[in-house]
Amino acid sequence: MKMNIIKHFDLPLYSERLKNGLIVNLVPKMNVSNVYATLSAFYGSFNNDFKPIDSEKYYHAPLGVAHFLEHKVFEQESGEDPFSFYTKNGADANASTSYQKTTYLFSGTGYLKENLNYLLDFIQQPYFTEENVTKEKGIIEQEIKMYDDVPYWKLIERTLYNAFHVHPLKYPIAGTVESIRSITVEDLYTCYNTFYHPSNMFLTIVGNFDPKEIMTEIRNNQNKKKYKPMQKVELASYDEDDTVIKDYDIIKASVEIPKVTLSYKFNVQDYDINQLKYYLNTFFELKLGITSKLNEALKDNSLITGSIDIDIISTDRHILIVLLFESKDYQKVIEMIQKELEDKQVLEKDLNRKKKVMKSACVYRSDNIYSIASKINNNLINYHEVVLDEYSLIDALNVNEFNEILTTLSFENKTINVLKKD
Amino acid sequence: MKYTKIAKSNYNLHIINTNKFKTIMIKINFKRKLKKEEISMRNMLVNLLFESTQKYPTKRLMEIQTEELYELGYRGSNYSSGIYNVMGFDCVFLHPKYTDDNIIEDSFAFLKEILFYPHVEDGVFAQKPFDIAYQILEDHLNSLKENSDLYSQIRLYEELEPDSVISYRKCGYQEDLQKIDRQNLYEYYLDVLKNDIVDVFVVGDVKIEEIEEKVDRLFKFSERNKVSENHFYKPELTRQDVNFQTELTDFKQSKILLGFKIEDASDFELRYVLNILNYILGGSPDSKLFQNVREKNSLCYSISSVSQPLLSVLLVHAGINADNYDQACSLILEQVEDIKNGRFDNNDIIKAALTYKNSMIEITESPDGLISLYSGIEYLNSDTLEVRNQKIDMVTKEDIVSLAHKLKLDTIFFLEGGKENENEYN
Repeated sequence: MKMNIIKHFDLPLYSERLKNGLIVNLVPKMNVSNVYATLSAFYGSFNNDFKPIDSEKYYHAPLGVAHFLEHKVFEQESGEDPFSFYTKNGADANASTSYQKTTYLFSGTGYLKENLNYLLDFIQQPYFTEENVTKEKGIIEQEIKMYDDVPYWKLIERTLYNAFHVHPLKYPIAGTVESIRSITVEDLYTCYNTFYHPSNMFLTIVGNFDPKEIMTEIRNNQNKKKYKPMQKVELASYDEDDTVIKDYDIIKASVEIPKVTLSYKFNVQDYDINQLKYYLNTFFELKLGITSKLNEALKDNSLITGSIDIDIISTDRHILIVLLFESKDYQKVIEMIQKELEDKQVLEKDLNRKKKVMKSACVYRSDNIYSIASKINNNLINYHEVVLDEYSLIDALNVNEFNEILTTLSFENKTINVLKKD
Repeated sequence: MKYTKIAKSNYNLHIINTNKFKTIMIKINFKRKLKKEEISMRNMLVNLLFESTQKYPTKRLMEIQTEELYELGYRGSNYSSGIYNVMGFDCVFLHPKYTDDNIIEDSFAFLKEILFYPHVEDGVFAQKPFDIAYQILEDHLNSLKENSDLYSQIRLYEELEPDSVISYRKCGYQEDLQKIDRQNLYEYYLDVLKNDIVDVFVVGDVKIEEIEEKVDRLFKFSERNKVSENHFYKPELTRQDVNFQTELTDFKQSKILLGFKIEDASDFELRYVLNILNYILGGSPDSKLFQNVREKNSLCYSISSVSQPLLSVLLVHAGINADNYDQACSLILEQVEDIKNGRFDNNDIIKAALTYKNSMIEITESPDGLISLYSGIEYLNSDTLEVRNQKIDMVTKEDIVSLAHKLKLDTIFFLEGGKENENEYN
């Protein structure tokens, strides 16, 4: 077990990769009373085509299978419901599926060893049957419909659909009512056996506990279980084109004010993608964010009332910047944004102000066990390790490099999607 | 952690001293009895005061100042607390250890700007921030129907008891908004400053004398009457037959909501027994509603019950397919009947009480939580954490069954959707 200090959180990090491959990161934070634990698989909706473990042929999974699996992992042969176990110990439990990971979690005070062993055990003992899989379809169908009824999700889903040709980012994480109806017990076991091997999973615990004692507990739990040797999952790569599919689309929905996304797609294979994300986020914040002159002008002209939301979504090859806003005169807003983006110069004083903001955000985050765990988990996805000094990454941002990178970016590849009444 | 209350003639200062956080939080609450026609006014006021100030005449300049103050966060809110409305303004900022020595003074001064030096022209609120604040609220009121969860809940509360506080829309009303102008809103603002009951909460690693001096000097509240009534509202129970209401929408999913009024419950029942009852009925994934309606019958993804002790109301809501209305409705009512008939065991009570106690621990883990804890003690006469943890263990099965018999089903509201699902991803 290695010990390091996470400088930007001012907290220790105890880490170890177990014999079976499981990555464990423990962050004791002794001034809180509770503990937050997450066990995640490097597996989300992006991983829809792969060679199943012990197979030579690529397999194409039904859309939404990672999320379906997340629901079904809770099923136990004993019939006990993990939620019921956790409430007995006064703990909260939940799970979620994103593009690149599936996470199971609990938080609570006391009973840590018991809660932790249960988490490892219920996830590592799948029990899928015809009956319990069929039963879940009705529930997930309602979950999909619930999101379909939210205008924001409708718009984002269509935007991604129009921006990507073949990459699974094109499709909703939960799949569609049709695709989930086709999911079988075999599909679930194929995906489970491939992606839920300990060597493809990571455990993160933050809160009030003794790291040595807990690491021993985790080792003991894992040593009792037999796994095949680690094997790297072979994922299909998607030959995604740099263009978008549709550059303009209108979606009908009963909304009072049109909701719009203006999205730019960039090929980022030649960049350091993590660094590029810092720069892009800063650039769009400075140009279009709440402290920008453009935002002020849009409000002065009664074109928008709030701000433009800026979201960065990335795949292995591309970044999609999604700008989202509401406006009755959205054509005018788009025009003004595009004009603003023509000037790609950034000033040093503005970058420095944003660096101060980024560093302060680290301190805020370090007060909250949930934010700390979420940051560590995202580090593992994006950097394949825990970042020990985010301050140095922020300090390294430099205005000359920034402006140079900006000159290489073109804002021509775009898709505009409008959700409106008629 | 140490709590100090300093009751002054013009306001109350509550200091929660703790070194648990790297932040300091200040929240100033303005409280008065809830009047329907003032809700829109109060919402407008929060929007407007956060849009600009005399010193920072645009939102952009305000936001740049917060970045200079090491990403200070500020929020405004209006919430109803039984028969009262509480308008709160807060700021969270990093402790001097992580910033500079003047940060407390500068951050308090920023909040002072917002509250006491708004953007005014010719003795009334300036036109631009007024227009923006108006537009934000108008857009929100016009788009309520886009959020099926929110809209169906608003409609249920309206049906439960028209014309009482239960029915009031928290977001306000179009017809009241239209009556608001720069002049009458400014007069209302002065009235709030002069007459609302004011409580100031500060959480963090601070010196009591220093905070008291700063708050006294920077926030000059005039003398006022601070006497408050009990916040709890007792609903009327005049309904003979259940009120069935259906509205058609073009959502794919339908929402079913059942509203119960609680007849003549005691203080102990509302503060403690109701919490346990709600937990067992629909307050967790282990609850009767979740297990029976969702897990056993696959009728929904989301289902839960929510209790409103201040209004003596309990509601159940679920998202279902329209065709399953009858089945869902009878299953939901069956779960309530089960509780009336004592069909749950002592383990359910133990689990619920443990969850309650853990939520009390969770409350102390954030500045927001601590402020809600002490504002509860100030406004609602809530018990301290220690007393709560003792009293929750006193709830018995008989208490729960007896409270369940006081649940009177009042209204079933059905927001009917159900357009056939077309596959958009072929």
